Amino acid sequence: MAPARSEGFFSALAPRGKAVLFALTAIAVCLLFAFPVFWLVLTSLRPGTGVYYVHRGTEFTIDNFHEVLSQEIVIRALFNSFMISTLATVLSLGVTATSGYMLSRFKGPIPNTWFSLIYIFRCVPYVAWVLPLYFVTQQLHIFDSYWGLLLPHIAVHICFFSWIMKGFFDGIDPSMEYAAMIDGCSRWGAFWRVAMPAAIPGLTALAILCWLYTWNEFLFALILTAHETPILTVVMAQFVHELGMEWHLMSATAVIALVPALIVTLFGQRYVVRGLRI
Amino acid sequence: MNEKTRFMLALITPAALVLVLFQVVPILTGANASFRDWTLHDPKRTWVGLANYIHVLRDAEFLGIVLPNTFGFMFASVALSLLLGLAIALMLNRRFPGRWLVQSFVLLPLMVAPVIAAIMIRWMFNDQFGVVNAALEGLGLAPISWLTQRWTTFFVILLTDVWLWTPWFALILLAGLQSLPPEPFEAARIDAASAWRTFRHITLPMLRPVMVVCIVIRSIDAFRTFDIVWTISGGGPARATELFSLYAYVESFQFLNLARGSAAAVIGAIIIVVFALLLYRILNRFVEVSK
Repeated sequence: MAPARSEGFFSALAPRGKAVLFALTAIAVCLLFAFPVFWLVLTSLRPGTGVYYVHRGTEFTIDNFHEVLSQEIVIRALFNSFMISTLATVLSLGVTATSGYMLSRFKGPIPNTWFSLIYIFRCVPYVAWVLPLYFVTQQLHIFDSYWGLLLPHIAVHICFFSWIMKGFFDGIDPSMEYAAMIDGCSRWGAFWRVAMPAAIPGLTALAILCWLYTWNEFLFALILTAHETPILTVVMAQFVHELGMEWHLMSATAVIALVPALIVTLFGQRYVVRGLRI
Repeated sequence: MNEKTRFMLALITPAALVLVLFQVVPILTGANASFRDWTLHDPKRTWVGLANYIHVLRDAEFLGIVLPNTFGFMFASVALSLLLGLAIALMLNRRFPGRWLVQSFVLLPLMVAPVIAAIMIRWMFNDQFGVVNAALEGLGLAPISWLTQRWTTFFVILLTDVWLWTPWFALILLAGLQSLPPEPFEAARIDAASAWRTFRHITLPMLRPVMVVCIVIRSIDAFRTFDIVWTISGGGPARATELFSLYAYVESFQFLNLARGSAAAVIGAIIIVVFALLLYRILNRFVEVSK
């Protein structure tokens, strides 16, 4: 009896030790990824004078949120960022679904050329074209408007998303489309009624990532917009650059900007993990 | 032109139009500028051939600091985020209570704008008011002025990038893990293979195609990183942490020599395109093997 018990004792201890270690690792990972966000939230709850001793002070306030939300530019930026992210997501997915479908279903010189082109343009660094892009949007009279920011965003997404979309369509058996075409469906009909519905899980994942990416994008928004179309990331950054070091207001705006992203991610993470199988 | 070709072209026309207008045209405009004298005292923008390129390729700053920084940053950032992301994906692939919560925490960096994360981390590493130095003092250690020396600044930038991109790796690798067939794992369990051997000989080879795609995509993005470096250090102290995007930007806007900045951007573009084509061949080989 005794040896069995001692054996049981050790084997009971070892998996529990493993479980404790696993739990500690999980907690450490959570802390690591949450800490900067936690710090941002904490800073946003401090009065303006309290941000220099965030880790010591005890007074908290929600005045920062009142102050930020009473500024007209913040409200306009929230609205613009929301519209731009949503429109960019819809248009980018629309444009790249067809392009990715073409890459997946056809072989020959045209798909090969197109694929090489998007692969090369995917690599070109932003600095090589962001500044000339400013001149191009001014020439087209769309600088500082929705189109002036939307179209460059779509241009960025085309290369990457066409590639990912090709992967989605590669994973779908094309025999259903051939069957539909034999039954009298046109090529467009086969694409729209048969292939697209099958690609919905992938499209959902990509839509969520695209929305988040555009919502958080900074460089294009900085260079391609001015007073007419304020964008949230630029407005946030200005709190600590141009208008003095107002950490508390920047943090409050950033926390507000986090809310839609949080909702999108929390509700979407199941679809993202399921849809991102490349 | 037959009906099939027309269909193929119709499918890519919208994408091709946007690509030409908003990517090809700007790139060509910038490339054109790189062959001219764009300084303020030459209003005629004289054609100077390769002079700007030669200047950049002879610049000790570009060769001795910018290129090593860029490649060092790319390798370190991709390797660290891949390792961490893989570890987290393996963890999230198991069933345990609170898994959903841990996954939500890991996804937090995807929701924060990179520029805000960079501002926040710069604030945390502030030498007087930052929480990191406060913690060091609390532990009885001497505070470090993080953003005034080359290697500590480089470390903070790297940390920010790894923080931002590890979740992305974890997410895609997790999706890859979940789509692996269960049979080989069952066979390994029946043969009583250790966890390490199962990982080394089954998980890793089957996951390799997904990992290679991730590495290619992230390497290209890491090479052209701009916003977090610009926000954290501005390339400083004394241009010691400039990556190549920063170099092109600083030449264009701070030294007001758009032509030289464009030449640097074109050189960087050529380097990364060659690098990406090499990576693409490797990628193709791996994908063929896995099929």
